[in-house]
Amino acid sequence: MSDDASASVLAARSLTLGYGSDPVVHGVDLEIGAGEFTVVVGPNGCGKSTLLKAFGRVNRPMSGQVMLHGRDLRTRRTKAVARELALLPQSPVVPEGVTVRSLVERGRFAHHTLLRQWSPDDERAIGEALDLTGTTDLAEVPVASLSGGQRQRAWVAMVLAQDTGVLLLDEPTTYLDIAHQYDLLQLFARLHRGGRTVVAVLHDLAQAARFATRLVMMDGGRVVADGTPQEVVTSELVGDVFGLACDVVPDPRTGTPLVIPHEEPVAG
Amino acid sequence: MSRQSTLPSRSRSAPPAPETEHRPPRGVMVLRLGRALALPIRRRSLVVGVLIAVVVLVCAAATLTLGNLGVPLSQLPSVLTGGGEATDRFVLSRLRGPRLIVAVGVGAALGIAGALFQSVTRNPLGSPDVIGLAAGAGSGAAVAALLLPGVLPVPVGALLGAGLAIGLVALSTGTGLRHPGRLIVAGIGVAAMAQAFTHFVVAVLARDEATSLATYLNGSLTARDWEHAAVIWGALALSLPVLVYLAGPIRLGEMGDEISETLGVPAKSTRTAAILMSVVLSAAAVSVAGPIAFVALTAPQIARRLSGAGGPSLVLSAAVGALLLVCADLVVQQVPVGEGLPVGIVTMGLGGIYLGHLLIREWRKGSL
Repeated sequence: MSDDASASVLAARSLTLGYGSDPVVHGVDLEIGAGEFTVVVGPNGCGKSTLLKAFGRVNRPMSGQVMLHGRDLRTRRTKAVARELALLPQSPVVPEGVTVRSLVERGRFAHHTLLRQWSPDDERAIGEALDLTGTTDLAEVPVASLSGGQRQRAWVAMVLAQDTGVLLLDEPTTYLDIAHQYDLLQLFARLHRGGRTVVAVLHDLAQAARFATRLVMMDGGRVVADGTPQEVVTSELVGDVFGLACDVVPDPRTGTPLVIPHEEPVAG
Repeated sequence: MSRQSTLPSRSRSAPPAPETEHRPPRGVMVLRLGRALALPIRRRSLVVGVLIAVVVLVCAAATLTLGNLGVPLSQLPSVLTGGGEATDRFVLSRLRGPRLIVAVGVGAALGIAGALFQSVTRNPLGSPDVIGLAAGAGSGAAVAALLLPGVLPVPVGALLGAGLAIGLVALSTGTGLRHPGRLIVAGIGVAAMAQAFTHFVVAVLARDEATSLATYLNGSLTARDWEHAAVIWGALALSLPVLVYLAGPIRLGEMGDEISETLGVPAKSTRTAAILMSVVLSAAAVSVAGPIAFVALTAPQIARRLSGAGGPSLVLSAAVGALLLVCADLVVQQVPVGEGLPVGIVTMGLGGIYLGHLLIREWRKGSL
């Protein structure tokens, strides 16, 4: 990894995070470079979502710092940060009676001032976000009445309308069927190719390995492996971290690592 | 890196699009003033707002013209411009005029206070009149007016009372103002204590004065003067800049702290400012008209349904609040059954039914 600070978009410096007095993440150092598609993986409770939220300025570090473009996040104004990074949390609350369009419009808040709350830019960004997520036809439908897959796409559209260089996604594919999962991942990959820096927390190692340019594996609140999918997804590491005996084979389509667990249903 | 046009590219690098290609969506107009001002206004909200304003005007005209002392409708324009008969001018400038202006201001203030608090607590029951804010302000006003006359101005007393009540509620929930269920239960307790205290003060000191009894116990608009009007409209004018600032952030705040922070809203300071404004406006309303029940509870809910935008609307809440109170006051002035009742009794009767409906609904939803 480069030590050049200008190349890193986000950086955790000896970051300790937690709720109440118990740390969940212990002294993590991690740099996210511009234009990377980083996927953070690890067992339940390893602190990956907590770390992502700290990157998104949603939870305050117990100690250490999060730097965005070399500046401490805590010293920045909420609105200024929201123009540079967007975070899609897990299962957000759908406000009653809100249509897809008005949800997506809310993504534009950080670009408004007290007196200028509409610009042609808003219209373009909202139109693009609806278009990219395939929700244009759902624009006037209340979010609460959508199916799980549609609803998740509406939330992604809101985050896209925010028009930020950095996208943080917390388990964006949970609760979706497999086709919708790949639809979304494909969209994130396109956004990444379009120049955005993407950091996602995912559960599925095969998906993570297929889409990430860089994998970060966490365990017990620490980063235990960091590198290309081939470097990180090995049978030794998966065995150590997840406690799952497995073989790792190349994905027949992409060549990326694929985990084949040893566990089999007991015959009889 | 060169980007292909088919790829989603960051907008900053996109060429500036001509304005004609990106018009506001259907049903939205943009209020513009040069390059400095561009505010989107939903057509439906505008229509609803104008309709409510018209109905308020009709009720206002009825308030001024009906009954024994009413100014004849044909005379109203000339009396309003300073002409007409002396009696009519007296009725307008001393009796019904200030009462009407106070009613509009108090209704608007209660509507806004309710909208702010309900939005912050994300619950229709988290309203100043349910959780003891108004009752606390009523106690404070009663103490200032009856116990310490001339020492403490009534609005200041109301403000202190409201602040004390909300402080007590926040303390007794153990979780501040976050958990709506606890907030409502604690609030009902604080409201009951505050009302008992007000009854005590009134019973000890003012048992001969029916009018002041009504004002401090139920809320009344009888015998209001221009000083009352100045207090409530002054409070509205002073809070206007903060309200304009808060209108957007509180809408986003309803999605929860995490989402609203990532969208650029400082969640905690927004909540603090909204509660503060709600306390100030409730206190101002109570200090001029007493603890008028349930306008703050119902007006924002009606406004929400009328606007259909899926969020709080401060402007429409104010308009509906004004309408409710002007109508209720017209009832107590002109309808034979209601005549002479304090206006707070009417709002309590109507709002109480709505409160019951809400309690049952929220209970079924499991949010209590």
